[in-house]
Amino acid sequence: MLEGAEFYFNVDHGYLEGLVRGCKASLLTQQDYINLVQCETLEDVKIHLQTTDYGNFLANQTNPLTVSKIDTEMRKKLCREFEYFRNHSLEPLSTFFTYMTCSYMIDNVILLMNGALQKKSVKEILVKCHPLGRFTEMEAVNIAETPSDLFNAVLVETPLAPFFQDCMSENTLDELNIELLRNKLYKSYLEAFYKFCKNHGDVTAEIMCPILEFEADRRAFIITLNSFGTELSKDDRETLYPTCGKLYPEGLHLLAQAEDFDQMRRVADHYGVYKPLFEAVGDGSGGKTLEDVFYEREVQMNVLAFNRQFHYGVFYAYTKLKEQEMRNIVWIAECISQRHRTKINSYIPIL
Amino acid sequence: MGSLFRSETMCLAQLFLQSGTAYECLSALGEKGLVQFRDLNQNVSSFQRKFVGEVKRCEELERILAYLVQEINRADIPLPEGETSPPAPPLKQVLEMQEQLQKLEVELREVTKNKEKLRKNLLELIEYTHMLRVTKTFVKRNVEFEPTYEEFPPLENDSLLDYSCMQRLGAKLGFVSGLINQGKVEAFEKMLWRVCKGYTIVTYAELDEPLEDPETGEVIKWYVFLISFWGEQIGHKVKKICDCYHCHVYPYPNTAEERKEIQEGLNTRIQDLYTVLHKTEDYLRQVLCKAAESVYSHVIQVKKMKAIYHMLNMCSFDVTNKCLIAEVWCPEADLHELRRALEEGSRESGATIPSFMNTIPTKETPPTLIRTNKFTEGFQNIVDAYGVGSYREVNPALFTIITFPFLFAVMFGDFGHGFVMFLFALLLVLNENHPRLNQSQEIMRMFFNGRYILLLMGLFSVYTGLIYNDCFSKSVNLFGSGWSVSAMYSSSHTPAEQKKMGLWNDSIVRHNRVLQLDPSVPGVFQGPYPLGIDPIWNLATNRLTFLNSFKMKMSVILGIIHMTFGVILGIFNHLHFRKKFNIYLVSVPELLFMLCIFGYLIFMIVYKWLVYSAETSRVAPSILIEFINMFLFPASETNGLYSGQSGYTLVRKDSEEEVSLLGSQDIEEGNNQIEDGYREMMCEEFNFGEILMTQVIHSIEYCLGCISNTASYLRLWALSLAHAQLSDVLWTMLVRVGLRVDTTYGVLLLLPVIALFAVLTIFILLIMEGLSAFLHAIRLHWVEFQNKFYVGAGTKFVPFSFRLLSSKFSDDVA
Repeated sequence: MLEGAEFYFNVDHGYLEGLVRGCKASLLTQQDYINLVQCETLEDVKIHLQTTDYGNFLANQTNPLTVSKIDTEMRKKLCREFEYFRNHSLEPLSTFFTYMTCSYMIDNVILLMNGALQKKSVKEILVKCHPLGRFTEMEAVNIAETPSDLFNAVLVETPLAPFFQDCMSENTLDELNIELLRNKLYKSYLEAFYKFCKNHGDVTAEIMCPILEFEADRRAFIITLNSFGTELSKDDRETLYPTCGKLYPEGLHLLAQAEDFDQMRRVADHYGVYKPLFEAVGDGSGGKTLEDVFYEREVQMNVLAFNRQFHYGVFYAYTKLKEQEMRNIVWIAECISQRHRTKINSYIPIL
Repeated sequence: MGSLFRSETMCLAQLFLQSGTAYECLSALGEKGLVQFRDLNQNVSSFQRKFVGEVKRCEELERILAYLVQEINRADIPLPEGETSPPAPPLKQVLEMQEQLQKLEVELREVTKNKEKLRKNLLELIEYTHMLRVTKTFVKRNVEFEPTYEEFPPLENDSLLDYSCMQRLGAKLGFVSGLINQGKVEAFEKMLWRVCKGYTIVTYAELDEPLEDPETGEVIKWYVFLISFWGEQIGHKVKKICDCYHCHVYPYPNTAEERKEIQEGLNTRIQDLYTVLHKTEDYLRQVLCKAAESVYSHVIQVKKMKAIYHMLNMCSFDVTNKCLIAEVWCPEADLHELRRALEEGSRESGATIPSFMNTIPTKETPPTLIRTNKFTEGFQNIVDAYGVGSYREVNPALFTIITFPFLFAVMFGDFGHGFVMFLFALLLVLNENHPRLNQSQEIMRMFFNGRYILLLMGLFSVYTGLIYNDCFSKSVNLFGSGWSVSAMYSSSHTPAEQKKMGLWNDSIVRHNRVLQLDPSVPGVFQGPYPLGIDPIWNLATNRLTFLNSFKMKMSVILGIIHMTFGVILGIFNHLHFRKKFNIYLVSVPELLFMLCIFGYLIFMIVYKWLVYSAETSRVAPSILIEFINMFLFPASETNGLYSGQSGYTLVRKDSEEEVSLLGSQDIEEGNNQIEDGYREMMCEEFNFGEILMTQVIHSIEYCLGCISNTASYLRLWALSLAHAQLSDVLWTMLVRVGLRVDTTYGVLLLLPVIALFAVLTIFILLIMEGLSAFLHAIRLHWVEFQNKFYVGAGTKFVPFSFRLLSSKFSDDVA
């Protein structure tokens, strides 16, 4: 891209950026959440959502309403919007969109492989797959016995193919290997996406790189946290960490050596960004979980992405914010339908 | 002046509706559309209101009705739209209606589901037959051309692909065959190749007729494929891949006999299915036809019911929970109607205690209601687009009815164009009951709604066109010109006199390209033309100079009259709102300022027109210079416009004093106003500095505004000039060229030229120029006229009326 690409940005992407900013304005407000929390039944939720930008997206659903119906319809709506963006995008924005879908595709592939392992029918799992990560070859995933099989037969023509370079092995696919595969895929995906944004330069790099760095570090922390008490060796663990984050390289070394949560916290203390996050984590009984804290931080970064113009980050940020909103609505709806109102307020507020 | 001069008086009324009769009362009110409800539960969210259950039920009914309408439309059954709108259903009927509709829906869903299933079955069978037909040719071709089989021991040709033969060879040959979506063929083949590493043979051919997908109704092209493979392992994989690509796989017959058998069986089954399908469709049609009869009235009824519950949600309950209290705005003139509607509602529900109402005093500003008819509606809309009038203030729409078309016509002054516009509007007005015009879209609708405005604009343009003496840029000589050329050429004078008076002789006429008529020569100018501009100006080269001076002065005069009128209307407002001090302290100084400066300008213009004649024109002073001098050097001793001009300086000084006083006077006014407010409210803080600032700003703004607004009225001149020039250009470039050609070809050429002229006249001069003149006229009204008196800070009165609900199916479907 040329220097000062802002001048030309609107020629190709101005319409979509305007559109996505309009969509962002339709996110639920604090007032909406307050009203939603007061709902007694799912019907009330539906009535309230009708007054927001969701409109009567549930109008054609026959009774009784369930949380999963709301979830699917919301996903469909997001997917429609995303497809619209994608269909109207030009290069390099369309590549950017492809990168965005990759993470969902990885999740779907892993989900399907797990399903095949547990001998579930493909159709049953397909329903659970995220619509954004849907691709035609997806259903053939269970043909493969080994990762290289998977690559050669199924994924070679999908956008996921380049991420497979690091994880070609002849291991059989058992549960642990699948999980390793997922993390390796994710690692190379994040690194590739990071490189793409970095090469693109301009505001896009300035906005997207911090977001992706955070994403990488978050994965590193979460992997560490989840590997405590498993048979995963420390060296193996280190190979799973995405290397495009702020933790790279020293922090990741330290993380690989960590043996419990306190050691992890000590690693985070070296970094000004992560120290306050770990401090916000409540201990045991009450307070927020590490995951929630990370989510909050992510929301914050995504909202800030809208402060700058002429970059692709808004599309990423919008999708992530919308996802967070959907998670919130599902959380509230679950709390309502299970009559478990004590925790209903622990959704992640979108600023 | 009636109701158009001011909005109607409103009063706030409280309705006490007995809970049993509330629904009927509101239904009666909705039919009449008398009152606007106030939301008494503003801080209650939508799902916590009293009648949310009923609203939900209405929504459920709407959903069912939308489904019915969709199915009926799909079956191409005409939906009858009733002429009369049925009243909201009585509560007893609602349950019945709901039951009926639900039953209908269940039945319909079942039948359609059956139909879909049958169609899907049928489609599968048809696909199977297609597949059988197409694959037959594959096998034959394989037999003849496929070199793969050469290495096998020579067998008889016809049994080469026989399954049993293959088994004898030790390799288990399997076939998978089916149909695949056209777009997926390539990817499918690639995947097959990669997974099975080439141990398969795929043959496919396009199916010549596309098939319709029963679920989406989409017409899709299909390919028939046949995969032959060895070994069971690969077979599993192939099947999985087929699943992945959503292929429709059908069993492949091994022998020719089997194939024939299957085909025959399929044919009979298809026949059977067709008959069953027809029967089902007939039944479905019957059900839908029956539903279609009542669906319109149901849709309207449910809409009304929903509207009633929405209104009831705005009411509050009284302490005993026995009656609902609603607060409504109602025009005072309609109060007895309101009472009658309540009585009617109570009677209908047979309640023992009637619902009643009483008016309550209020300090809140009521909404603005100005009743319009189809003629005044358009003009009121122009005013409302700027801002809905404050309650009871003078409504400019009344005056807009005449001033708007007039100012438009000043800019659009052309007899011919105006007449065309008038005819077009007349056509719309005469056919206004035509259904197609009523339902027209977008641009046509805009014209239709403004048909009366267009009519008046056309009429006034005809008038101004006559004054300008312009008809498609040409002048019309109706009464005979007041100028005579022959008098310039008279021979009754001596040559010396001729020279002195600039009379013409042969040599002058022959050698000069431009000749000047001199009105001071006796007999040349015989008096003004009876109506408008003398047609002889059409020939003059200095026509533009003459017209410019005329139109410029005219626009200033019109503008100042228009603005002064606006200031005078302000006095009516002050009188009505009992602010006498505003008259002395605001309106009178404003009027003085306006009249002493710009009124005097008009006076000078008119005076100059009257006093100076052709003989004395050479000594006439310039108004512009005089006007400027008036401000700068009162003592300058040029020869003035008239003898007593110095006397005017005194008056002018007065006016100047007025100007300087205006500021301070307005400040006083501000004080008074606030003191009044202080007495009433006892809470507003008195802030002298702030008020001083706003009043000073207001005074300055008014003074500057007067000057810039007067200048703004010059757009009348500019646009009328532009219009005249443009039509002149069109004439010279087209028609004159056409008329100049030789007589023999001219006739042929003139036809397309006239056609082009007509098209360009309509699109450029009528539509484009018309729009621009329209916009400028709107601006003159909104800015220059209305800012003199119009506040426009009201809210519109929106009555609860069923007539405002749309009675179309279209938005149900959407």
